[in-house]
Amino acid sequence: MASEVKLPRLGQGMESGTIVRWLKSEGEPVAKGDPLYELDTDKVTQEVEAEATGVLLKIVIADGEVDVGTTVGVIGAQDEDVSELLAASQGGNGGAPATVPDAAAPARAADQPRGSEPQSAMRDTAVSEIATSAGLAGERMKASPLARRMARERGVDLAIVTGTGPEGRVIAEDVEGAAARAPEPSAAPSPVTTSAPATSPTTDDVEVVELTSTRRTIARRLTEAWAAPVFQLSVTADATELVATREQLVALLREGETKPTVNDVLTRVVASSLVRHRPVNAHFSDGRILRFPSANIGLAVAAPGGLVVPVIRDADKKTIQQIAVARADLVSRARDGKLKLADLEGGTFTISNLGMYGIEQFVAVLNPPQVAILAVGSIEDRPAARDGELAIAPTMTMVLTCDHRAIDGSEGAEFLRTVKAFVESPALAL
Amino acid sequence: MPELTYREAVRDALAQALRTDESVFVMGEDIAEMGGSMAVTQGLLEEFGPKRIRNTPISEMAIVGSGIGAAIQGMRPVVEIMYEDFLTLSMEQLVNQAAKHRTMSGGQVKVPLTIRTQGGAGWSPGAQHAQQLEAWFVHVPGLKVVFASTPEDVRGLLWSAIYDDNPVVFFEHRTLYPLKGEVPTKLEPIPLGKARIHREGEDVTVVATGRLVHEALQAAEVAESEGISVEVVDPRTLLPLDEEAILGSVRKTTRCVTAHEAVIRGGFGSELAAVIQHGAFDWLDAPIERVGARFAPLPFAPAMEQWVVPHAEDVLEAIRRTVARS
Repeated sequence: MASEVKLPRLGQGMESGTIVRWLKSEGEPVAKGDPLYELDTDKVTQEVEAEATGVLLKIVIADGEVDVGTTVGVIGAQDEDVSELLAASQGGNGGAPATVPDAAAPARAADQPRGSEPQSAMRDTAVSEIATSAGLAGERMKASPLARRMARERGVDLAIVTGTGPEGRVIAEDVEGAAARAPEPSAAPSPVTTSAPATSPTTDDVEVVELTSTRRTIARRLTEAWAAPVFQLSVTADATELVATREQLVALLREGETKPTVNDVLTRVVASSLVRHRPVNAHFSDGRILRFPSANIGLAVAAPGGLVVPVIRDADKKTIQQIAVARADLVSRARDGKLKLADLEGGTFTISNLGMYGIEQFVAVLNPPQVAILAVGSIEDRPAARDGELAIAPTMTMVLTCDHRAIDGSEGAEFLRTVKAFVESPALAL
Repeated sequence: MPELTYREAVRDALAQALRTDESVFVMGEDIAEMGGSMAVTQGLLEEFGPKRIRNTPISEMAIVGSGIGAAIQGMRPVVEIMYEDFLTLSMEQLVNQAAKHRTMSGGQVKVPLTIRTQGGAGWSPGAQHAQQLEAWFVHVPGLKVVFASTPEDVRGLLWSAIYDDNPVVFFEHRTLYPLKGEVPTKLEPIPLGKARIHREGEDVTVVATGRLVHEALQAAEVAESEGISVEVVDPRTLLPLDEEAILGSVRKTTRCVTAHEAVIRGGFGSELAAVIQHGAFDWLDAPIERVGARFAPLPFAPAMEQWVVPHAEDVLEAIRRTVARS
């Protein structure tokens, strides 16, 4: 009975190893315990011993990096036909877990009763039942009871999991790895998902949070943003009029109408500033700068699944009340996870406001391909100089992060000066 | 806390029970003037006199049989069987009489008898003076079976055995007698049926008894240096068994090794494996490994004896197998 030589796990955390060279050649007899090949891991180089006696019938992988559990060779009786066995093992253990080819079934089943333990009829029945439920009638799959339970609970198909336990048994760690690699069952597959690491450090009381596709997108985009050369400009504005404008608008509302927030007023005046300073209302992509005629302002919203930035279109052409209605709709759908892709596309500029948390001032990370983002702090009564006297006024600090590839300091400064002027006299923005 | 050897701890439990309670007496072969072949009962004759520290003829059947009679009559006898190999000679009394009287009499008769005995390899006693037969008695309803591994445990458990109203077969291990350990100043009875977790761990549980508790603890040290965290549990009482503690541990670690000095086949580890696979099936990530002696009569030659009985390295190998690392 031929037996597969599988790359062993020589230490916890070992995922792969590099075969340096084989110490036996094809056709050469080997005894259990004979050094078979040299294996290089990230820690050591060592000789791996044969686990079976017979003839080295086939060297499947002569050298190079191999995942743990992969079949690298076959030991069996002289002249034994191992083609079916190899077809099976390549289907089941290859790097890309796809579906196991049907040819795998008979060969794998034939490989199973290697040990001397007699298999009772009862055990055969039980195992084949499980195999059937996994969609692989006739094939016997080795998986620990714990691995089976975890697979059941996490919706992992054992048929596509590569077992790294003894004799290729699927153990808990393998299911964990497979579950971490699997896409979110409900979320639409994102084109940008990079696969999560196969194993996470799950020791002690560490809470392991697998990335949702939203979170992965956030991670990828913000990491990309980090590559941009940015500079920050900050300005503090007197918000007395901004607050007063909002109060006047609220006073005119009818029962049941959406009340604008200070941020809605701010969105409107920033939109007016943007169309006056096109260099800031732009994208930087594919080595070009695209300057837009109207302001589509993204609002950073904390949704349950992570940060989202829905867009208020043509904010420069909308009334504050229209902005309020659009904002209320977007925020409520963001919290319910019901935003559509169209809600998130087309932004030309982003406002991130943490004022409601009492944050006085902060720096936001760029939202590419947009070239600038405005971080808005809290409006609070602070000491302010007014006509040469110390006075108390509601003020707020705004920090503009600019992509220096597209915007120069003076362009950013001019934009921010306009924003400050409009915040202090909102009527000018009309 | 005072320190006692395992031998002194047994003697202390006996002496305290003898002092406390007139119904307690001790009998066995050469236990009086000679102090027993393992010197456990030394000094008891001087303090308690020949009526309560009694030598017996060389007849295990008579020793256990008379113990049963005295127990039924209201005494709390502690009888000593010099080697547990000799328990075979008292099987009729133990299995057919002591274990059955309470239920067959509809509860009218109780047999509060303690049968102390010892065994174990490691000093070339040969095939007839070192067996580990505890599993035989776990198979008999009506008996209780204790196997203590530390001075503290042997003292607290022997007290509870003496005051249990059922026949208790109480196993001591020959090589543990010189083992020193701290014991509570005041004797604290340890309830029968309570396991002890000697060491907490995350990756694999070793359920060990007798000498193998100490071998398992050694193996756990080495495993720790390899990054494997081992929990060591000693059931202490084999019948009744603290299933809750054992299953709780295995559900936590997801892997299990059983370890005893007795031969593997039909050994207590087999019973443990059955209990665990049933109670923790969905938690098991590897087959349960059983460590025990090779299936052979114990050789006299020291080198061969060492080869037959299990040691820390055997436990370590089994630990590595369960974490798929050998």
